[in-house]
Amino acid sequence: MNKPKIKLNRLEKWKGSLDVCIRCGYCFAHCPIYKDTRWETDAPRGKMTLIYGLINGEVEPTDYVAEKLLECFYCKRCENNCSSSLPITQIFTDAQADLLEAGFDVKGTTSVTNRGQCTLCLECVRLCKHEARSYDGRIVVDTVKCQSCGSCIDSCPRMAISMNLGFGTNPDEMRSEITGFLKDDKRKNAKAIVFCCNWSNYPGFQVAELVSEDPDPEYKILVTMCSGRVQSQVIMEAFAQGAWGVLVTMCPEDKCEHDGNVRTKMRINSLKKAIHELGIGPERVQLEIVEKGNQKQFQDGVKKFMKEIKDAGPLKRG
Amino acid sequence: MEKLNISRLKEIVGEKNVKDDPADLYIYGTDASVHQAMPWAVVRPENAGQVQEIMRYANSEKIPVIPRGSGSGMCGQTVPVNGGIILDMKRMNKILEINLEDVYCRVEPGVIDDDLNKALKPYNVFFPPTPASSIIATIGGEIANNASGVRSVKYGAARDSLLGVKLVLASGDMISFGTTTRVEASGYQIERIIAGSEGTLGVIVEATLKFVPLPTIRCLGMTNFNKLEEAGDSISEIMASGCTPSMLELVDNVAIKAINNALKLNLPDVDAILIFEADGMVKEAVDFEITKIKDICETHGGFGTELSFDEKERERIYTGRKKLFPSLSKYKELMPSTSLADDMTVPYSKMAETTRKIHEIAKQNNIIMSAYGHCGSGCMHTKILMDTTKSESWKAAEKAVAQIYEYVNSVGGTTSAEHGIGISKAPAFKIEKAASLELMRGIKKAFDPNNILNPGKLQDASDDWLNATKLRYTVSDKCE
Repeated sequence: MNKPKIKLNRLEKWKGSLDVCIRCGYCFAHCPIYKDTRWETDAPRGKMTLIYGLINGEVEPTDYVAEKLLECFYCKRCENNCSSSLPITQIFTDAQADLLEAGFDVKGTTSVTNRGQCTLCLECVRLCKHEARSYDGRIVVDTVKCQSCGSCIDSCPRMAISMNLGFGTNPDEMRSEITGFLKDDKRKNAKAIVFCCNWSNYPGFQVAELVSEDPDPEYKILVTMCSGRVQSQVIMEAFAQGAWGVLVTMCPEDKCEHDGNVRTKMRINSLKKAIHELGIGPERVQLEIVEKGNQKQFQDGVKKFMKEIKDAGPLKRG
Repeated sequence: MEKLNISRLKEIVGEKNVKDDPADLYIYGTDASVHQAMPWAVVRPENAGQVQEIMRYANSEKIPVIPRGSGSGMCGQTVPVNGGIILDMKRMNKILEINLEDVYCRVEPGVIDDDLNKALKPYNVFFPPTPASSIIATIGGEIANNASGVRSVKYGAARDSLLGVKLVLASGDMISFGTTTRVEASGYQIERIIAGSEGTLGVIVEATLKFVPLPTIRCLGMTNFNKLEEAGDSISEIMASGCTPSMLELVDNVAIKAINNALKLNLPDVDAILIFEADGMVKEAVDFEITKIKDICETHGGFGTELSFDEKERERIYTGRKKLFPSLSKYKELMPSTSLADDMTVPYSKMAETTRKIHEIAKQNNIIMSAYGHCGSGCMHTKILMDTTKSESWKAAEKAVAQIYEYVNSVGGTTSAEHGIGISKAPAFKIEKAASLELMRGIKKAFDPNNILNPGKLQDASDDWLNATKLRYTVSDKCE
């Protein structure tokens, strides 16, 4: 066994547990980051293997390795489905803390603040459920505490917060998906965008491109790490691109992992008023509460929404 | 590694689809087996044309190429013993055609089993092999390993559902084998050799598969036995009596204890449990089948039988078996569950004896082993639970593995039922198939004259699995 190249004070205790991982790879199917990139390095099994290599000295700690280990949305779906019942995200957190302590300056999926744009309103500090943001003459982000929900990104009135790696969940990536879906000439049925909270339901849609499934679906599902991340601007982008309607799903009020749903509710209510002013019927933006893992509730919600949107017809231009 | 031209690979598949960082290579050098070895690059082709170009390049430079699905193999099938290029096929994941009229579908190799079945479900049909790993298993990997699962007793393995394959050879040439028709007597059926070839003969870039009607009615049963032999006799009689269960599973006492430890299910502390299922379209037919199986079990001493048609109730009955895998890994602290002697097939009449033998060998070698499996197919799975940090554990495991397969061979069984051979089962496989190894090497040479396709596997694998690669586990003192 080689010596670890850096001090791994926290990881050391997981040595035995990493042998217990049978490397079945079932976690692939549950990881939103793996589903976005489909590289095994981004899957929980890959990261557990990297940590194993760090501990036994076979993997050189590099910026790349540190970056990979800081990529996690903490949805914990991997550990809830782990064949060996390992506390995977706790192991990741310890790896992150050890690597940061060793001096690696990487961000992974941690939110970052642009100091030039930040006006120190402290809204992000106030709302972060994970106490990852604090004020010390400037906004300080605790990279280990940050669970990459991205709620702060949407809360910032100056749009000073971003996430370098969004794996499909950043506003720009969502806008591009929306445009790609609604403005594709080959699609004749595209009508709506459904924002699907990673927690409130488990879609598992992204692994395969099922070309034999409906090739021209009426709605596109975009998975977000929290409904709180769905910005009003992104919803408006959907209307600008010709959507007939937008549905946002969120967890029941007291069950949001990030407390994002309270803001979602307020935002959607304000947005309904705003679009009404613009002559767009408020029924075009809807909110659906879905309990964690309740696929039926999700499907029924989408069905009802699509019926109402189709009854309302396309938006009138002008 | 020096001869690998990364730029050339990037030209073929695009920069974003090639990785050669040591961290990535470390990850792609493992699967669910005990083995680990470093590849030189990981490449993700998007279509058959790119696979052809990669093979032409690799063949001209004599660089090993190892096709890989989700890397869920338990015997080291995708571990690159001689380095080379890992061909990650997961980007080729399109279902190309579902032809209901002619009852077949065409898929790319990276399609996930569960996704295929999700796409087939609206038509009330399914692709039957259903390995336990169907949530991540790719169709290409299933064919390459001739995978199967709990329903193999009625529906067979991947080979039985395979009508044809499109294969890229080592030379880069592409050939279609097989047909879309139900039967074929047109000479050699090469596609059937591809099933189970573990990536040593070519790269599967498309598969034509048949599917079967999805049963509308299922009934699940569970019976306890105080003596393993009684369960064994039941299995034998069920299968000999013309029953066609859609599932027939054996769970031994070690497994029962592990399940009770982990899940507090309070299963009876008996010698063995049989779980069985019948399926079909007509309730009377399913009733007839399940009653017949139940009666046979009870004639042989089975007791406490539970039966249910209800989905939720079936799920409850099956929980223990379903969670057996994780339960075993939590059996005892610092005793990880390793994939060794992980599967085998024996004649029905030898199921009980094999289970006893496995326990006996485990005891002799001071390790813990559980026996369970799809006994309706004669398939037996084991796991070796041991302290993986000690070389003496590995030596004991090596001895136990050899003894188990010697016994399997002696009763007319075979080395693998559905997990394949790879590296860790190769020594036993080579003993079992000694008479045909040269012929197999001849076939391999015809497909791959330069031996670049997944070299060092099956008939060409090392006789010493323990030292064939580095172990994925950290052993505190080196094995001799």
